[in-house]
Amino acid sequence: MPVEIPKDTWAGQVRTITLGATAAEGGTRSHTVTIGGQKSLPFMHFEHEAPYPPLVALEIKDRRPDDWSALLLERWGDVVNAPGDWAKAAEAAGAELIVLALSLTDANGEPTRPEAAVAATKAVLASTGLPLIVWGPGQAEADNELLVPVAEATKGERIAIGLCEDKNYRTLVATAMANNHLVIARSPMDVNLAKQLNILISDMGLPLDRILMDPTTGALGYGIEYGYSVMERLRLAALQGDGMTQLPMIVTPGYEAWKTKESKVGAGMPDAWGSWEERAITWETITAMTLIESGADIVVLRHPESVRRVQTAIKDLNSVREMA
Amino acid sequence: MPLSGIEIYKLLPQTNCKDCGFPTCLAFSMKLAAKQVELSTCPHVSDESKAKLASAAEPPIRLVTLKSNGYEVKAGNETVLFRHEKTFYHKPGLFIRVRDNEPLEDIKSRVRAIDVYSVDYVGMTLTLEGIAVESATGDPAAFSAAVRAVREATRRPLILISFDPAVMAAGLQAIDGETALVHGATTANWEAMAGLAKQHQAVLSVQADSLDGLAELTAKLKEAGVQDLVLSPVTGSLSTSLNLSTQIRRLALKKNFRPLGYPIMTFPGDLKDPDQEMIMAAQSIAKYAGFVVLDHFLPETAYPLLVLRENVFTDPQKPIQVQPGLYEINNPTPASPVLVTTNFSITYFSVANEVESSGLPAWLVVTDAEGMSVLTAWAAGKFDAERIAKAVKEFGVADKVSQKRVVIPGHVATLSGELEEELPNWEVRVGPREAVDLPAFMKQAL
Amino acid sequence: MHTVRFNSAPEAAHVPTGTLLVEAAGQVGIDIQQPCGGQGRCGRCAVIVDSGAVRRRSTLRLSSADIEAGYALACQTVIEGDAAITVPPQEQIERRLTTDLTAREVPIPAGYNPFEAQPIRRLSLTLSPPTMDDQTDDWSRLQTAARQQTGVENLRVSLLLLQKLGHVLREGGWQVEVLLDTDEARLIDVKAGYPADDAPLWGIAIDIGTTTVTVWLVNLLTGEVKAQVAEYNGQIARGEDVISRIIYSGKNNGGAELRRLILNTINTLIETACQRTTISADDILKATIAGNSTMMHLLLGIPAQTIRLTPFVTAVNTVPCLTAQEVGLAIHPEATVDCLPGVASYVGADISAGVLASGLDDTEAITLFIDIGTNGEIVMGNKEWLVTCACSAGPAFEGSGVLHGMRATKGAIEEVWIHTTTHEPTFRVIGNVRPRGICGSGLISLLAEMFLTGVVDKGGNINLSLQNPRVRMGEHGAEYVIAYAKETGHNQDIVITRVDIDNLLRAKAAIYAGFTVLADRVGVPLAAVEQVLVGGAFGKYINVEKAVEIGLLPDMSWDQFHFLGNTSIKGAYLALLDRRARTRIQHIAGRMTYIELSADNSFYEAFTSALFLPHTDLARFPSVKVN
Repeated sequence: MPVEIPKDTWAGQVRTITLGATAAEGGTRSHTVTIGGQKSLPFMHFEHEAPYPPLVALEIKDRRPDDWSALLLERWGDVVNAPGDWAKAAEAAGAELIVLALSLTDANGEPTRPEAAVAATKAVLASTGLPLIVWGPGQAEADNELLVPVAEATKGERIAIGLCEDKNYRTLVATAMANNHLVIARSPMDVNLAKQLNILISDMGLPLDRILMDPTTGALGYGIEYGYSVMERLRLAALQGDGMTQLPMIVTPGYEAWKTKESKVGAGMPDAWGSWEERAITWETITAMTLIESGADIVVLRHPESVRRVQTAIKDLNSVREMA
Repeated sequence: MPLSGIEIYKLLPQTNCKDCGFPTCLAFSMKLAAKQVELSTCPHVSDESKAKLASAAEPPIRLVTLKSNGYEVKAGNETVLFRHEKTFYHKPGLFIRVRDNEPLEDIKSRVRAIDVYSVDYVGMTLTLEGIAVESATGDPAAFSAAVRAVREATRRPLILISFDPAVMAAGLQAIDGETALVHGATTANWEAMAGLAKQHQAVLSVQADSLDGLAELTAKLKEAGVQDLVLSPVTGSLSTSLNLSTQIRRLALKKNFRPLGYPIMTFPGDLKDPDQEMIMAAQSIAKYAGFVVLDHFLPETAYPLLVLRENVFTDPQKPIQVQPGLYEINNPTPASPVLVTTNFSITYFSVANEVESSGLPAWLVVTDAEGMSVLTAWAAGKFDAERIAKAVKEFGVADKVSQKRVVIPGHVATLSGELEEELPNWEVRVGPREAVDLPAFMKQAL
Repeated sequence: MHTVRFNSAPEAAHVPTGTLLVEAAGQVGIDIQQPCGGQGRCGRCAVIVDSGAVRRRSTLRLSSADIEAGYALACQTVIEGDAAITVPPQEQIERRLTTDLTAREVPIPAGYNPFEAQPIRRLSLTLSPPTMDDQTDDWSRLQTAARQQTGVENLRVSLLLLQKLGHVLREGGWQVEVLLDTDEARLIDVKAGYPADDAPLWGIAIDIGTTTVTVWLVNLLTGEVKAQVAEYNGQIARGEDVISRIIYSGKNNGGAELRRLILNTINTLIETACQRTTISADDILKATIAGNSTMMHLLLGIPAQTIRLTPFVTAVNTVPCLTAQEVGLAIHPEATVDCLPGVASYVGADISAGVLASGLDDTEAITLFIDIGTNGEIVMGNKEWLVTCACSAGPAFEGSGVLHGMRATKGAIEEVWIHTTTHEPTFRVIGNVRPRGICGSGLISLLAEMFLTGVVDKGGNINLSLQNPRVRMGEHGAEYVIAYAKETGHNQDIVITRVDIDNLLRAKAAIYAGFTVLADRVGVPLAAVEQVLVGGAFGKYINVEKAVEIGLLPDMSWDQFHFLGNTSIKGAYLALLDRRARTRIQHIAGRMTYIELSADNSFYEAFTSALFLPHTDLARFPSVKVN
């Protein structure tokens, strides 16, 4: 019985966005990376071949993150003390992008100084040819204070800086515009809020192909379903032709998964939770894969083994096979 | 195609007689459209309308139920492609595969471990659904013995796997009286398998390597009198599995294509890589499987899969709640202030985020307001002095702080008097109405 | 016991620790207004603590300078020792109410025929006197005569009337004027002798709004409205919105007090109308009342708490006919009081009446009817179906919950224009005086102008990077100065703050979300709506263009909007005149399907989507363009 396969035809397409700039393009990266461009839901190859597969980024910090899970600190070893070394190790672990997350305070508990943030960024740029994302510490004032000099010191590199939020986006957008960077627009797990922030940022004059959106997610067991559905809805809206949602999505399953009790803590957990390390890696991997299948274009991870597993799966999902 | 409230309304008597228990025919129509009430609740609907409404209401994906002594696993009856459109109803059954070429004692001990496995997740007890027994030997006696061994170790429902009708007959014989899932029927054996399925009231899985093949088989089987079917497309990759499952679900829901209107079964173990097996299982849970057969059972991977299944199958229509309790923000000390809010997640997150990003330490008492925001909960009587006092006592806030002072949201300033009565020895302060003003308030007033 | 002295009372109050300042003031006869019903939300009950020990539970609405100066909210501050308090003069409400002087003439329904339509009848009866052969009792004699003229069977009568019946019949020599309600089959009065041929028959239509009460005095024989009077609802000082009133009514004797206050307002209005037309209130034989469900409950002294609490039910939606005496209206004690039927807790008789007046239940066109006030009630439908919901918009459009908000009275800014490049405002003030604040229509106009000129972004964030001193950081965050102190009537800057803008956004989003959810629930796209009927007194003052620009009203062409004014009083008037209209209202209330938004998940979604200027889905507002 021949079955006619229903193919969705969509009016819209996700924007194609390129991060990083090579020497020829005014930067220093060895290559650039590109995401987006989809004309159908994730991995529906029988409708449209997706031009760019999702990318896996690794998150590193500007200094040793004492609050990270011991599993991660152990796995990375000494490189966590030097962002340049860490970035190199991350590249070796398969990262396609580096996320440098700036800390609120330095090792002495003093607020991180702008010069230190710039130095850390430059160290990372010097040690790897991968394109870069830089996050501020997550407090409006500190973000602005650190990211503006970082953006200025790396003018032309097409770094993605963030996170822009609805109450604090003007400064970061302005510096991204002035220094030829991109921004990450983060909104709290809500389709409307995501879209609103994109509109506000684009109203300032930053072209839409320089905005990545981070709709925020929860980890597996901690609200992943909300992030999952918000991303599915954003992607559906994009395909339906809503221009203000046609931005590639970046999410942070690593950050979310590694703050859960399941991943962070080893001792004293129920037997039914099984072995700590495998559980923690599965937690991060499943969180990441579930979000990739709902439309994530960049997942930011923390553990090299998760990177390996997720990349294997993406390769499989991205393989185009003749469908029945 | 489901009908809208107005379309249904036009088929109803429009007398607003209230006999259905709803105030108007339109109110009833909207409930009917939302599938929250049965058409039979209306005693006055005409036969003609009944027929029209019934065909619109027939589930596009057949509900099948596996049964064993004391257990049931259901799949099917799904109505949407995306959970946000309504909800996913039947959590896919997770089964672990054992083979009849393993020593019986090994099988039993493994199955026992699977049988008793349970894990707590936010107050729920999660378990796996059952066991899939596969004939690896091709020997009816060995299969029968393995099935019996499994049955000794668990009472959970079973999936029996063999394409040889003689072997399958032996297996089914061993568990006569149950509704097992038989895997499966192919172009080669479907007639014999149909006979077995009917004889044993089993649910029959249909295997083919294309949708055309699946559809052809289900049509034949339906004609042969087997109604309860499951589709098992052959897939060797995440990619094929995702594409085929999506196509089947779309055909059933959007085209109302009956030959593929059945639940789907996947076999992630076929990927032959334990890490990727878990990824495929996770994919199957989110993307449309009714039954998932795994080859590996380890608590550290079963737990995340079970949690994912709970998450994906949470009803998105229900208000998002956080667990009531005492939350610590920015490592509070006994001198830190005590703030009160409700357990509506958006309310909680806006309060927690504002305080967190201010860097100010605080204790946040999240009261059980049944997932409502401050004003809504207050209006509904779910956020009153009594509930706040109960939370403060229940979570032992007094033991954590040196200063018995509690800050309530500005929207419920009116509760301050009553709360002082409910919480003697506590000072009640009225905070700002909006979370965004909390940091300034905390700096100035506390 | 502590001694609390007030500047404006000769006696001191003696109260225990923990007594609220308002209660202490009440003890010595000082009435401090509590527009929010004592919730500490409005800040209007601020008093000055000159000396003594008090504890402020809440200081919301007070600046740190205020607190330094001794200000405290009387409803949120408790006595902890002897104290001396100064109560500032209480705000006097200046009127801008619709009365005969400002009202349009009300058209009498075409072809109005009181003998067909009007249930209140005056009969001139001549009874045959009793004899030894005809010992029929007086009452049966009257009943029979009345039946012969009107067809009314089983006429009922009150004890009071029976007590005087014999005397009246004999006094008039068996010639009597009989007043009756033919629909109710009830005798209203009997008087000796015949009435004058041209004697009118009086009735009143009443609309009890949360803010304003309106009374129309109607000649039931001609349909003519002889007087239109209106007054602020006397309950305002006990809460500005229905929720505050319900809460107040649950306090000690609060219900009785609110009932007394509303009766007082209505009866004063009746008296005014009667004086103006030189009729006697005793000649008013029927009152038809519309009002929201809370107002109806409070008028009738029926406990209203369940309206506020889940699952939000009223005690009664369809009130049986009562008499003026029972209700407490100062008209003929036996007059019929007809409270029109409501639909639900937050869709009351005012909306049933409004739908009737708007003709929505009788049109083919899919129509949206909205009544914007503290609660925005929305009805969608046509002659085939009707759905309704209520959106809790909050009091922002009433000028409350906004720092410099005020009611639409003298001194209120009611319209604002902002220059595109200089961002300088100009404005119009009610009464052409110096401004003291800004009212609801002014706020809508202001927000639209700020948005269109870039003073705020689409999220309502004030653009602090504008090079203009009017944009600044104030005590409540970012703000925009509409009028500097030197231009105002109270020598304070009038500003709008980020918090105010949030409140306005929420108010408009609640209403727009109501439209979208109603449309979704019945499965009719909002775009299929052919006309929008705007009711409510406030509707009259809204500039539709501005309301569309901020996304309060759907983006449709001007000719699709119709402003109907106070449809509640009009519906009550029609129901008073014509029994067919009255039946129609009953039918409307019966078939209106109420949708509870708080139980609707899509509401939150629609609400956040509408929390943007004009809307997150810009395609819904193609006509709105930022300069």
